[in-house]
Amino acid sequence: MTFDVVYGLSPLLVVALGALLLMLAEAFGKPNPQGLAPTGEVSDAGAGRAGELGMGAAVVLFVGAALSLGVWLAGPDNLVGLELTRPYLIWDRFTVFVCFTLCLGGGLSCLLAGGYLTEHEIDRAEFFPLVLFSTVGAMALAAAGELLTLFVALETMSLGVYALVGLRRTPRSSEAALKYFLLGSFAAALMLFGAALLYGATGRTDLAGIGQAIAAIGQGEGPGAAQVLIALVLVVVGLAFKVSAVPFHMWTPDAYEGAPTPATSYMAVAVKTAAFAVMVRVLLIAFGDERLTSWASGWPPVLATLAVASMTVANLVAGRQSSVKRMLAYSSIAHAGYALVAVVATIRSPAAEGSILFYLLTYTVSTAGAFGALILCGSRGKEAVSYEDLAGIAKRHPAAAMAFSLFLLSLAGVPPTAGFFGKLYVFQAAIDAELYVLTVVGLLNSLVGAYYYLRVIVFMYMREPAPGATLAVPMRSGYVASALVIAAVLVIALGVLPNVTLEWAAIATVGRS
Amino acid sequence: MEALVKVFPANDFSLLAVILCLPLIGAFINGVFGKRLGREGVTLMALAAVGGSFLAAVVSFLVLRQAQAGSEQAARLTYVAWDWLSVSGRHDLGSIPIKVAFSLDALNATMCLVVTGVGFLIHLYSTKYMEKDPGYHRFFAYLNLFIFSMLVLILGDSLPILFVGWEGVGLCSYLLIGFWFTDEKNAQAGKKAFIVNRIGDFGLLVAMALFVYHVGALDWIGIEGGRSRLLEPVKLWPIGNVVPLSSALPESAAAWLNTPRYVTAASLVGLALFLGCAGKSAQIPLYVWLPDAMAGPTPVSALIHAATMVTAGVYLVCRLSSVFVLAPAVMFTIALVGALTALLAASIAFAQNDIKKVLAYSTVSQLGYMFLGVGVGAFSAGFFHVVTHAFFKACLFLGAGSVIYAMHKRIHDTDTSQDMRKMGGMKKYMPVTFATFVGAWVAIIGFPGTSGFFSKDEILLKALTSQIQSPLPGGKITQMTRAGEQTVLELWQWPSWGNQVLFAMGVVGAVMTAFYMSRLVFGIFWGDFKGWTIKRKWKAPAHHDHDDHDHPHHHHDPDEPLEGPAPVESPWQMWLPLAVLAALSLGGGFLNAHLLHLHPMDDWLGPVFATAAQNVTAAEGGLSLVLAFGIGAFALGLGAAYWVYRLQGGEPARAFVERMPGLHRWAQDKFYVDEAYDEAVVESAAALADTAAAADKYVVDGIVAKLTSGVVQLAGAGLRFVQTGKVHTYAAVMVVGTAAVGWFLIAPHAQARTVHQSAGQYGVVAAPGFGYQYRWDTDGDGQWDSEEFSSQMQQDVTLGFGENKTLRLQVKNAFGRTAERSITVSRPKLDPTRGPATVIQIEQQPDGTVRGVLPGQQPTGGVQ
Repeated sequence: MTFDVVYGLSPLLVVALGALLLMLAEAFGKPNPQGLAPTGEVSDAGAGRAGELGMGAAVVLFVGAALSLGVWLAGPDNLVGLELTRPYLIWDRFTVFVCFTLCLGGGLSCLLAGGYLTEHEIDRAEFFPLVLFSTVGAMALAAAGELLTLFVALETMSLGVYALVGLRRTPRSSEAALKYFLLGSFAAALMLFGAALLYGATGRTDLAGIGQAIAAIGQGEGPGAAQVLIALVLVVVGLAFKVSAVPFHMWTPDAYEGAPTPATSYMAVAVKTAAFAVMVRVLLIAFGDERLTSWASGWPPVLATLAVASMTVANLVAGRQSSVKRMLAYSSIAHAGYALVAVVATIRSPAAEGSILFYLLTYTVSTAGAFGALILCGSRGKEAVSYEDLAGIAKRHPAAAMAFSLFLLSLAGVPPTAGFFGKLYVFQAAIDAELYVLTVVGLLNSLVGAYYYLRVIVFMYMREPAPGATLAVPMRSGYVASALVIAAVLVIALGVLPNVTLEWAAIATVGRS
Repeated sequence: MEALVKVFPANDFSLLAVILCLPLIGAFINGVFGKRLGREGVTLMALAAVGGSFLAAVVSFLVLRQAQAGSEQAARLTYVAWDWLSVSGRHDLGSIPIKVAFSLDALNATMCLVVTGVGFLIHLYSTKYMEKDPGYHRFFAYLNLFIFSMLVLILGDSLPILFVGWEGVGLCSYLLIGFWFTDEKNAQAGKKAFIVNRIGDFGLLVAMALFVYHVGALDWIGIEGGRSRLLEPVKLWPIGNVVPLSSALPESAAAWLNTPRYVTAASLVGLALFLGCAGKSAQIPLYVWLPDAMAGPTPVSALIHAATMVTAGVYLVCRLSSVFVLAPAVMFTIALVGALTALLAASIAFAQNDIKKVLAYSTVSQLGYMFLGVGVGAFSAGFFHVVTHAFFKACLFLGAGSVIYAMHKRIHDTDTSQDMRKMGGMKKYMPVTFATFVGAWVAIIGFPGTSGFFSKDEILLKALTSQIQSPLPGGKITQMTRAGEQTVLELWQWPSWGNQVLFAMGVVGAVMTAFYMSRLVFGIFWGDFKGWTIKRKWKAPAHHDHDDHDHPHHHHDPDEPLEGPAPVESPWQMWLPLAVLAALSLGGGFLNAHLLHLHPMDDWLGPVFATAAQNVTAAEGGLSLVLAFGIGAFALGLGAAYWVYRLQGGEPARAFVERMPGLHRWAQDKFYVDEAYDEAVVESAAALADTAAAADKYVVDGIVAKLTSGVVQLAGAGLRFVQTGKVHTYAAVMVVGTAAVGWFLIAPHAQARTVHQSAGQYGVVAAPGFGYQYRWDTDGDGQWDSEEFSSQMQQDVTLGFGENKTLRLQVKNAFGRTAERSITVSRPKLDPTRGPATVIQIEQQPDGTVRGVLPGQQPTGGVQ
């Protein structure tokens, strides 16, 4: 019994333990005199050891991913002891799949940070414990089956990320962190208020219980029904903020641009994945009543509108960016739009949940890879930021350009990369659910999206740098290179052999009644 | 043998993976590490990869023969690498798994031997030919990659896998044509090949979509099993039910215009597939890329543009023969296009002086013969020509390469070194090249007993006697309607004159082939050498030691008379492949010598084409007639060429040119087809581009851009305002968003949909909503049926033909707010001409024949 629980929760426990250990190592370890940067700041003991700590954090997260795989193979349903954690943590196949994706995304970001922080002399190795704590929160969030757990997990995840955004002590970074924090608190407050209303209306805090209580509320006027509707509004807005859907996305470009790039990568992949997981669970379990999933008056038309807005606005604005990093930020908003299409499709297609999970996995490897390639393309003082900085880099550094192109093609959804199959299955689910308009809008948006992804490739391969321009010089870092290799292998493997992963994603459902 | 069969079972024949992977590994190692490996390493790697692949192919062939022995059914060895994905098909056909699977049967086992065998010889040849090229490792990486792609193409067990190989060989061809990409002309030729092939690939994609829709399968077994569904009629016209604006026309014209036109799905699939084949195999109208493709190194021309890749189209027709025979019209089109291509290309070859150009047009012409063969349903004859053509055309190209190699001693300009007017008398200097070239020459012109003689005569015989039968009884598909039985589609019948026309074209083509090939051979090998003045003990000027064959590099002053040593024979790496190929050209015919009652090839391929053969009828006899015409054509062409170019020293040809300079120039300039395409396609594309540019300038830049820039500037002003740190703007946007979401969820929405339950019975169902209550006005008196709101969501309505009824619905939500909507339900009028009864049943009998069964008819009426 105990073993079941420990084994089942091992991904979460290992990452939590790793976070504590890394925090100790960071605080009490010996600083590395060679790596110390002459910043004049009071350096803590982990200074100059970003590489080693990054490796440690990545190992912890990859172990977490491996354990998720192990739990998957053992089958969470067979681990009877996991019943103990219900309803606080629902440790089903859905959760385990998401945990794997989260650990993978986190691990890749840590590897990137290992190279990035050293190269740019950011002596703040607390990056790694923060990532690990955030990941613990994200995993708990994906598993949360109860409102209080959900809120605590959400905040655990978010607080770490707020700090990550402000890690670089530049005005821009601080501004981004503050904005993200204020708006995030606002969204959290809305969500908390929604949760309180739900409790008031139903007397329950567990999602399944709320779902049953809502189903029991009859037709007609009444304070209960009104409260549930207002709670739905607030919860949907809170979740939409976390997945950065338009119009709750305003913080995203600023925060993504201001944050150190590995932190951006972490936010783009892990935070978004966890937020989608909890969104699916809350909407399908607590708000899964037929009257709330009605196409006339429930949450599906709301999310469909958000999806259309996210895809269209983000894709149009992304095309006008001159900074590649900011473009990738808008791209992540657009991808949230595609995933929202699949969330809407869950109301009528049983395959939609699997398509969301598969999509999030492909999105994670492609996005982490793309940010990684951007990191690789710039060394200290010669960072690649704009399209111009990348001009002609293919001639000077073909490997970096080729890796970047691979991830961009995957983000654009070109076969046979992972991104293609991610989009394919999302749209297939949408067609299954007879959401033809959404599908067409999604496909048109993929076309628009291809424009700005391919534009980077055009700059890398077909443009010469302007005379006298400072050339971006790729950094030499084994950490970044290994992260890119892992991501590239996964991008190709998921493109060539999508079947097994897809079959697994298809059986990972939240188990709605 | 038993041990082999045990290690490689038929349903998991992993030897196929070996055949495929060796060239891939070779390509990878040469491509990535080639620079560090050195020339010997690259040579060894490339040769070992293809040679190993050839050995594995031989073993596979033997195992397959073992499996085939004593079995009527076609033996198959399959290997599934992995499951790739599945696509959802039409609802009644279920989802279609696409596996990365490969299979080997008699057809592609033969092709596989040719590709790896001839491929190996050409690799060996290239080690010398490309010896001094700086891109040596790159060349062999591409060449190995080509072999891999070609093997994927022929071994793939389904259309998508074949398509991967199809694109792969296209890519390699593009890379190798443009191998010397620093030369503008070569780069252009590569691009042309790439673009023309895209047109063909479009056809293949369309065909795949049609297979998914109509058959619900993409693998060979599935397609053959479900091919009867391709006899479904498909309405082509009008799109929708009536042509828009047709009511404005006179009655008879409108009726004619509105008559539905059907074709069978098989015809559509066949045409789409043939478009793909015409692109890859250089048939009218897509042949223009192949002659230009000779800009690549000569071994590439031999391997890709003569022996293997360009025959992929013929292979595809053979592979899907069971589908093609369901569309006799398409088959006739294929045969006709093939015969026309054979004639057109041969007539262009008359007037070419570049020896590679002559061989290129000859290839196009011979490919036309292959399509003529498969088009009349003689699949094994057409495929046999693929094999013999691979032998003699590869030999001819390599021989030409050998001559060009010798010419490069002193002439480095591509055009001059390949000009047959600069050659002559090579017989004396290059005896091995001469002997092998003559071997291949007598084969292509059909000297009795050679491989070309047997394969070409077999095609001519079948062109005269073989026909495709209509796949349905009575040749028409009918439909029962309320107005009676109506004919939907009459199937096309093979015309009675068809065979004679095809045969005549084939014979004329054979005469022309014999003539222009003999002209080529006489020009190169007989007469006096005209390249330069031969001096004994001639020494090369120091700067000329770098010899790079086709690479245009040094340009001589044309007025300065050239001097040089006598041309010499090429090294053994070059003449050994020539000798092997020449031997095969001479002796390969006995694989299928029907005249001598030797036909192991037909027996071997028979089971593969068994299904298709049910729809083909061949008349008996005609053999002696064909024999007479075949030998006559050869004798006439050769004799004429001998008289013109040997006895008269080319005088009649010159006189002819003088008398009809226009005609000659016309042929020399390839009938201006390239120019016509330029005019028609490129120019119209340019015109379109100009229009688009103008639209862009005035409409997009003028109106749209101003509008959007205005909006963006407005938004930008807002954004800049925000960017200074005013986070409350962001918060304000969030509040607005929240309010919008809230407004939607809190406002009531009265929506309803109509469902048709049974004849005349309709239900109007209100959309559910949380806390919603409903009241209805069903009688249309403007009063609610009941003042009270209730939870009744559905109202039933009964209607007669042509009636309609309007209902009103009001909903009240949890906040006590209400919304209203009126819904009209109507039932269409009865239309006597439309009816539910369908079409025909098409069923496949246990013996594999397809029968169409008309309603009320016994299945015995079916025809194969």
